Amino acid sequence: MFNAKVKSEVLKGIIDVVSPLVNEVKFNITPKGISLRAVDPAHVAMVDLEIKSDAFDEYKATNMELGIDMDKFASIIRLSTSNDMVNLEYDEDTNRLIIKIGNLVRKMGLIDTTGMPDPKMPNLNLPAKVVLKASELTQGVRASETVSDHLALTVNKDDFELFAEGDTDTVNLKLPKDLLLELDTNSKCKSLFSIDYFSNMIKPVRGDDPITIMIGNDNPIRVEFNIAENKGHVTYLLAPRIESE
Amino acid sequence: MQITTSKNQSKLIKTPKKESFSLCALCRGTKFLCGKSRCPVIVRYHSRDKIKPLINTLKIGGASPPSVFIGRIGYPKVSIGPMIPPIMGDTSIIDTPELWLDKTLDDIVDFRSMLIRGKHTVDIYDVENSNKTVQFTRELALSKNSVFTEAIFSKKPQGNIAFYDEIQPHGPSAPIKKFDITNPKYEQHIEKAYYDTDLKSRDAVFNLYKDGLNISKIQRAFSVGAFGVKKFRKFVPTRWSITAVDSTISETLMKNTKTYPLINEYRVYQHNQFDNRWVILMMPTEWMYELIEAWYPNTTWNPYGGGISIFNSYEFYKGRNTYAEIGGCYYSARLAVNELLNKERRQAGVVILREAHPGYIMPIGVWNVRESVREALRNPYQKFDAIDKAMIYFSSIMDIPLQRWIKNSAVLKNKLFQKRLEDF
Repeated sequence: MFNAKVKSEVLKGIIDVVSPLVNEVKFNITPKGISLRAVDPAHVAMVDLEIKSDAFDEYKATNMELGIDMDKFASIIRLSTSNDMVNLEYDEDTNRLIIKIGNLVRKMGLIDTTGMPDPKMPNLNLPAKVVLKASELTQGVRASETVSDHLALTVNKDDFELFAEGDTDTVNLKLPKDLLLELDTNSKCKSLFSIDYFSNMIKPVRGDDPITIMIGNDNPIRVEFNIAENKGHVTYLLAPRIESE
Repeated sequence: MQITTSKNQSKLIKTPKKESFSLCALCRGTKFLCGKSRCPVIVRYHSRDKIKPLINTLKIGGASPPSVFIGRIGYPKVSIGPMIPPIMGDTSIIDTPELWLDKTLDDIVDFRSMLIRGKHTVDIYDVENSNKTVQFTRELALSKNSVFTEAIFSKKPQGNIAFYDEIQPHGPSAPIKKFDITNPKYEQHIEKAYYDTDLKSRDAVFNLYKDGLNISKIQRAFSVGAFGVKKFRKFVPTRWSITAVDSTISETLMKNTKTYPLINEYRVYQHNQFDNRWVILMMPTEWMYELIEAWYPNTTWNPYGGGISIFNSYEFYKGRNTYAEIGGCYYSARLAVNELLNKERRQAGVVILREAHPGYIMPIGVWNVRESVREALRNPYQKFDAIDKAMIYFSSIMDIPLQRWIKNSAVLKNKLFQKRLEDF
């Protein structure tokens, strides 16, 4: 059973987090909330999402799985404005999700979840941790997009650095410790990442909200932040580029 | 030289010496980037006048292959009309590029240069105009076989053979005064789509493709606005219609490709055509695709160059939503590789390498790309268990060193440098 009532903006937040990476996903529903873990088709990035039941205005559920086509779901939720209340109900008899927005009733067919994998979170050794305002990072990433398709992130003892290099142009963003909310490392850590993926991962975080980044040397990056008024949590992993000749 | 700074085009590789030749490879005679009023590359080929005596007349009669041409200059008011050779009989080969792989460049130019293009200016939305030229042009485009056609021009046909990047070349042109055709017989599948005014053109095009029609036939009918929901029908310039059809069909095929299991090995296919050397690398990864073209000095789109110009366009699994930098050939080749993958019900990452050697002296249209890649994929392939071995093998076929291919390839770089989560 699954029956919930929630502000449209919470659902829009979930869509922003998930749909840049994967289209067909499996939500795990429990009485405590909903969660999802999925890997993109290229096996380069992973998204892990948890939304507590108190992010919803009303929430009643037993343990179950919901297979959802995110593109379709997004096109339905797009019909609502941010403050609209959306009612979600699982119809067991027809295996559909009944979505009510105001007086609109939209019944959506679900995807079969058998055979959809439960990816494991790899055990990573990421010694450097930085917490910073989303807006600072977004500026650097947007600048890099015009220059290259990958960027280097470096955490030093006293600063955090973003660097991108194209054929003729470069971008450098250096944030000293006092501009960061937190910086914790024992040694210099540096890895390279695809800008395309990375910019999708920080896009859902608005304004001055904090983003947590953990990196190592030529290791994946771990990006974490909260959504749904801190009642939801997102973890992304992104595999690095390693340019050894 | 700064070509442009847009993100995708920043991948275009700057060439070391003079500047003008990169410009030509980007422009290919369409954008007049060099500032001249006529493209000097194209004019160079305007010297043939073998057929002049045959067409030095105001009246021409002959069997149209069938063939039509929709111009793009002046859009949305464009020149439409038939293409007529001054000969009789079954002329269908003249406008069926699918049959030209065993011809030489000279053969193709010879028979294409016989096609006289009649011109009649019309608004693109005016597909149902009662004007006879509009009607007969459409009927020609829907016809199955060669049709006897007569045209009276208001001026003698002007100009020499016209070459384009995407379109097959054709002969001189003249404004049409009067135009008549005898009893065309419609291609039945196309006729059905034509009379179905609720069928979307995307579906019409793909259904016809599944029915086994040649791309050139579908494209011809597409260009006269024969498909689609009635109120949206319009003339589509021939140049655009070719890429529209290639792109539409390959998009549908690609959707299937992305659901199939991966191939089990690295494959290298190869083919030589018109002094173009083709290598197709297939990798056991999710769908991604790239076409890299290397133009040698003194080839079609690199006539003044001192070095080889290399250009690429690519897409990853999610696809791309901007027009490919290298043009229509990107979509033609994408169609060809997806045909094979759909037939085998397999998914792969594909990189196509093309070396255009100096024997490729003139543009003959993107059909050359589509048919050459198709031909390569009909040949047996070499199998490898690792990408290194596959790359070493194809670099033995190609003249350009492997490192330069990698440097110019987004997909190869991704494959070699982008790690995956399971690597950790």
